[in-house]
Amino acid sequence: MQSLLETFAQHFAWMHNPVVVARQALAGISNGMLLFLIAAGLSLIFGVLRIINFAHGALFMLGAFIAVSLSGWLPDGSASFVAMLIGATAGLAVIGVAIESGLLRRIYRAPHEFQLLLTFALVFILGDAVKLIWGNQDHSVATPPLLVGSTQALGVTFPTYRLFLIAAGIAVALGLWWVLHKTRWGIFVRAATMDRAMLGALGVNTRVLFTTVFALGAALAGLGGALAAPVVSIGPGLHVQVIIDAFVVVVIGGMGSVMGAFVASLLVGLVNAFGILAFPGLSVVLTFACMAVVLIVRPWGLFGSPE
Amino acid sequence: MSRKVPIALGGALALAALPFAISDFWIFIAIEVLAFALYAVSFNVLLGYGGMLSFGHAAFFGIGAYAAALLVKKAGMAPGLAFALFPLAAMAAAALVAAIIGFFSVRRSGIYFGMLTFAFQMLLYTIALKATGLTGGDDGITGLKPPGAFARPAVYYYFALAITVPALYVLYRLVSSPFGTILRALRSNPRRVQTIGVNVRSHQLAAFVISGAFAGLAGALFAMSSGNVFPGWLNWTASATPIVMAVLGGVSTFLGPALGAAVYVVLEVMISGRTEYWPLAMGVIILALVLLMPAGLTGLARARRT
Repeated sequence: MQSLLETFAQHFAWMHNPVVVARQALAGISNGMLLFLIAAGLSLIFGVLRIINFAHGALFMLGAFIAVSLSGWLPDGSASFVAMLIGATAGLAVIGVAIESGLLRRIYRAPHEFQLLLTFALVFILGDAVKLIWGNQDHSVATPPLLVGSTQALGVTFPTYRLFLIAAGIAVALGLWWVLHKTRWGIFVRAATMDRAMLGALGVNTRVLFTTVFALGAALAGLGGALAAPVVSIGPGLHVQVIIDAFVVVVIGGMGSVMGAFVASLLVGLVNAFGILAFPGLSVVLTFACMAVVLIVRPWGLFGSPE
Repeated sequence: MSRKVPIALGGALALAALPFAISDFWIFIAIEVLAFALYAVSFNVLLGYGGMLSFGHAAFFGIGAYAAALLVKKAGMAPGLAFALFPLAAMAAAALVAAIIGFFSVRRSGIYFGMLTFAFQMLLYTIALKATGLTGGDDGITGLKPPGAFARPAVYYYFALAITVPALYVLYRLVSSPFGTILRALRSNPRRVQTIGVNVRSHQLAAFVISGAFAGLAGALFAMSSGNVFPGWLNWTASATPIVMAVLGGVSTFLGPALGAAVYVVLEVMISGRTEYWPLAMGVIILALVLLMPAGLTGLARARRT
């Protein structure tokens, strides 16, 4: 019994090292911010369109690949990095409009399996399209000159780009909150999450609303992909894992809740970061276990509302 | 009924004569069709009859395959005995897992039911990937081979046929029974069925376990023919396969998904033999299916008749 406890304690030996804890927390939070950018769109789209967009990870991947191309064409520099972020965001917004108005719009009334199949089809098509356009190899994007290196804070050295990711994630979250709570469009979005039919009956153009919500979700995924580009290796399989993490986040936070997506993103980011230290190899199991528990105990998620 | 008997007899004869007409390569494909036909029909017992859309049915196909592979490779049994037992072992393992997953999943309906099955599937996928000592991790379990004469494709084809056809018959009797009637009633109006005094959850759970067990049998049959099993069989992208097959064939008929499986498998062989972009082709096929022929192949045939 004593030795069992000791082996268990060994898994948590890193806890005594505050520098390791701080670094890992930062890595977890910054990854959580990237997750948030994907999960927020996934959640909004489900809330309004009632479709689980399995292709959302593929949209994130497209954002990263657009960043690869743009960083190849533009000169090195921080201005180019900003242009790259804008390019990926705008590019994915356009792709989002095309997907919603060309495909999704036709199947809102169809049974669930058709909606599921349609987004699965997009996963397969976009996954191969990326291979056709950018090839099978992995790509990388350089960190912008302003954000290279590390920063001292609280006596610990942090990679500057990771701090920037956290700031960017918080800025997007605040911006989203403002749009959803302070603009007319945002009120429509929140109303649609509660009762779409009533919103339509009140004379709101839900067609335009659906298209813009999907475009916003896609744009956020594109921005996430471009922001992630300097810290991940960008290859054709990127989307398969990304969508799983985002899906876990949205289920834990509550489908349709942006606030829930934010909290759950941090949670999953931290569980992953510390899970790797405590139980290497099993950290993924931890996040799925969290998801299963939430689904069983509170299936509408921490911040969602029961149907 | 009078029309059905000659069709069934003709079909049985054609299936029995098939190995004499085609090469070993196509016999392998025919075995794959049998396994996936059983998989798709078992999946459709849930979707088409019970109205339950599982996002994670690949879990049962994969569990059955792993159970068979472990029995043959690691249980230390005589090869003949292990081979005789693998279909039962696969069904038992898949049924057990389905009972656990189903117990939690049927408490929720609609999209939340789907998400629960999805979550458990990803849990199992991760275990298959990480429990390297048992499952071989990313490399999977390879080198599975039926003993003696069963290793010959034609013989294994008859073995698979002798399992698939009775299994399909059992499922057919099941959905034609009062149990099947309750399932169909649950699809259209669960609340009303509840009011009549039927225990909704226990019927859904029973359907889930039966469907999972036969999906596991299908996975095991396929694993012994292909000679290997990989964790990817349990990944979420693999759960699209039975949905595509069922919708392609038509979810409103019993054998429609089997037809869908046959068309899907043959398409995959023909397209992936020519290009590495089979997923792209499949994506386009699914788009066409979803947007242009929502009733599937059997629906198309019916529409032409009337």
